Amino acid sequence: MKKTPDNKNNNNGRRTDNRFDKRNRDGNKLQQIVKKRTCRFCEYKIEYIDFKDEKRLLKLINEQGKILPRRITGTCAKHQRILVSSIKRARHMAILPFVSEALK
Amino acid sequence: MIQRTNTYETLFIVNPVLEDSQIDAIVTRTKELIEKHGGVIKSLEPWGRKRMAYIINKKNNGYYALIEFDAPAESITSLERFYNLEEEVMRHIIVKLDKKTLLAKSLKKEQAIRLSEANKEQGIQ
Repeated sequence: MKKTPDNKNNNNGRRTDNRFDKRNRDGNKLQQIVKKRTCRFCEYKIEYIDFKDEKRLLKLINEQGKILPRRITGTCAKHQRILVSSIKRARHMAILPFVSEALK
Repeated sequence: MIQRTNTYETLFIVNPVLEDSQIDAIVTRTKELIEKHGGVIKSLEPWGRKRMAYIINKKNNGYYALIEFDAPAESITSLERFYNLEEEVMRHIIVKLDKKTLLAKSLKKEQAIRLSEANKEQGIQ
């Protein structure tokens, strides 16, 4: 339901839609926290992502076994390209699942 | 003429139902094949029996072995052929390691050592 001036104030005159009015205990408006993500591989200057490194690769796939997109992990384009190929190699060698066992 | 060689690593999964001696035989045969075609084994890491992420050939486990070696590019076709003909090898992969990755690999070890040292120092302070 789109908010119109009518239904915004129809709850006994109280404003129900307070999405834009979040306040903390002191009554100050909360600042939106913008977290700047950096590529986890650039951070440590990693040039080579090993397909045998199961622990590292597991962090970059979801529970279904899908490769997480860059917008979620914050990986840079260069490293995502390397990462994708090593995940696919790991899948071929049954180190990582194509589809997670729990969902089968 | 001096033959140009590249560095490769190969990981393969052997049927885990076989006895250890039979598995060893396959691993040594691969090793010998690489050496026969002018390759030099740099390292051999038998991972042993490991649970696989999904079922291959109706099996849950597999015997993994990893070999890193230097070899001329022509020898890879014969290694690939060997893997395909060998029935007990369930999966295989051959990856060429370029200069960059080799450098990164050697640096990685150094970095790990340095990191652990740095952590110790911080702990003291």
